[in-house]
Amino acid sequence: MSENMKKKLAAIEQLRWRLKQGGGEAATEKQHARGKLTARERIELLCDPGTFAEFDLFAKHMGKDYGLDKKQLPADGVITGFGEVNGRRVVVFSEDFTVVAGTFGEMHGRKICKAVVMARKMGLPLIGMNDSGGARATEEMGALSMYGKLFKSQARACGVVPQIALIMGPVAGGQAYSPSMMDFLFMVENTSHMFLAGPPLVKAVVFQDATADELGSARVHAEKTGMSDYNASDDRDCIEKVRKLLSYLPSSVMETPPFEIPEDDPDRADEELLGIIPDDRKKPYDMHEIIERIVDKGSFFELKPEFAKNLITGLARLDGIVVGIVANNPMHLAGSLTVNSSLKGEKFIRFCDSFNIPLINLQDVPGYLIGIKSERDGIIRHGSKQLRAYAEATVPMITIVLRKSYAGGYLGMCSKEIGADFLFALPTAEICLMGAPGAVNILFRKEIAASDDPVKTRNRRIQEFYDNYVDPTYAAGLQHVDDIIDPRQMRPVLIKSLEIAMNKVE
Amino acid sequence: MSDNETDVVAPMVGKVVSILVKEGAEVEADETVITLEAMKIEMPVNAPVGGTVKEILVAEGDVVEADAVLVVIEEEEEE
Repeated sequence: MSENMKKKLAAIEQLRWRLKQGGGEAATEKQHARGKLTARERIELLCDPGTFAEFDLFAKHMGKDYGLDKKQLPADGVITGFGEVNGRRVVVFSEDFTVVAGTFGEMHGRKICKAVVMARKMGLPLIGMNDSGGARATEEMGALSMYGKLFKSQARACGVVPQIALIMGPVAGGQAYSPSMMDFLFMVENTSHMFLAGPPLVKAVVFQDATADELGSARVHAEKTGMSDYNASDDRDCIEKVRKLLSYLPSSVMETPPFEIPEDDPDRADEELLGIIPDDRKKPYDMHEIIERIVDKGSFFELKPEFAKNLITGLARLDGIVVGIVANNPMHLAGSLTVNSSLKGEKFIRFCDSFNIPLINLQDVPGYLIGIKSERDGIIRHGSKQLRAYAEATVPMITIVLRKSYAGGYLGMCSKEIGADFLFALPTAEICLMGAPGAVNILFRKEIAASDDPVKTRNRRIQEFYDNYVDPTYAAGLQHVDDIIDPRQMRPVLIKSLEIAMNKVE
Repeated sequence: MSDNETDVVAPMVGKVVSILVKEGAEVEADETVITLEAMKIEMPVNAPVGGTVKEILVAEGDVVEADAVLVVIEEEEEE
C-alpha cells in the first residue's frame, strides 16, 4: 500500500471513529440516566451480532446561520443502515438523542427518506426508532420540506414493505406523523411521549395547563388514541418484542409470512372449549380464553390490547401458518362494533390483506353499538371502514360464529357475503337479522296486545323465534353456514379449511 | 372530588340490572360492583381501584349514559 493511501485510509477511519461517538460520553451518560439506550446500542440489540452495515455516517448539515457552520453534528443525529434480524435483512434508522436532541434537520430527514426508499426498492421491512426533540428550528424550511418528502416516501412504501415504528423518547410536532403512518407502533412506558405540541406551546396557544404525560404518554396512546400496538417496559423489552413481531411478517408484499415448523398438534381437540361459553346467553366471557386454545400454543401476539377491548386483534400461527385473528370480546361493551373497534379492525385487516396473511374471524357480536352517542360519534361512517376492509380483502378468510351474530355485526365481522371462504357455527350460535325480543315485538305486536296473558304470549313467541330463526340450523339451511361444528374441533377444522383456502384465487 | 376518590363509570349506555355492593363496603380493585345490561349482554362494571364504597348514585332499573358516574370509591389513605 502506498503511503498516500495509508494516510487517507487512516484519516477516514479516524473520522469514522469520531462520528460514531455521537454526542460523546457526557451526553451518553445523560441518556442512560434517563433510562434510555443510545441509538447505536438500540441497533446492536435489534440486529443479529455483526450484521449492521451503516450508510450516510458522513452526512453533514448545511446550516450556515446561528453559528451552525462551526458545529459538527455527527451523522446529523440519526443512524441509518441495513441489518439482519434472525437472519432476515431489514432497513433501520435510529435517532440519536445525544446529538442536538436528535432533532430533525434537512440531512437528518434526507437520511431517513433514503432508508424508506431503500426498504421499498429492496423489499425489506423498515424499522424506525424515534427519539427526537422535533424539527431542528435552525433549519427552517429545510426541515419542513423534508418532513413532507418523508411522509410521501412512507406512503409510497405503504403496503409494499412492513413499516414498524419504535417510540423510544419524545416525538413531537409534525414528525409524529411519520410513525403514525407506519403499520405498527411500539412505545416505551415512562420514557416515550408523542404529541403535536408540548406543554409550553399548548399553554401559549390554547391557554391550557397540560403535562407531557397528559398530552401523549405511552399510556395515553395505548388506551385512548389506540396508536400504540404494544407498550414496552423499557428499550430492551421494546426491541425484543419487535424482533418477535418480525417473525410473523413477510419482508415484502411479494412474499408470504415465514412458516415455522409447529410443535403443536394440528388435530388437538380441547375439552375445555365446551365450558367457556356460558349457557345463559346474556352472560359474557373472555374471548382470549378461546383464542389461546385454538392457535398454536403460545403463538398469539396481541396488538393494541388496551384499546377498543371489544375487538381483539393479533397475529398467531395455525399449524405453523401465520394468521391474523380478529375477534369480538363480549367481556367489553358486549362485544359490540364501535367507532374505535372499527378503526382498529380496519387497519389490521388491511395490513393482513396487503401482506398475504389469512384472517381468522371469531364472532360473538350483538351488532354495531346503537344509541345517541354512538350515532353522533359516527358509527355509520366509521363502522363502514371495517366492513369495507373485509369486503376488499382477497386473502383466505375463515369465520367461526361462537354465539351472537346479529344484524350488521354478522356482516361487519365477515360473513360469507362479505368474503369469508368458510363460515362455521358452533351449536350455540345465534345468527339473525335482529334479536328475538325485538323481532317478536314487531312481528306479534297485535297478537301480544290482544292476548289474555301478554307476557306469556310474548315469551312463547320469543322461544319459538329462537328455535326457528336464530338457531344456526336456519342459516345453515340457507347455506350461509358451511357446517355446524363441535367447539372442541375448532382448531382442527380451522387448520384443515385454512390449508384448502390457501390456494384460492380471487 | 378529593384526590383519593375514584369514579366507577358506565362503559356504555345501558340499564342497571344489579348493584353488587353497599355503601360503606370494602371492594378490591377489579371487583365487579354493578351489572349493566345493553346490547343483549349483562356486562360487569368493575372497580378501577380498591377502597371503600363512598356513594352509590344509581338504583336498579336506572338507564344510564356512557361515562355516567355509578359509584364513588374512596381509596385508603397512604400511611
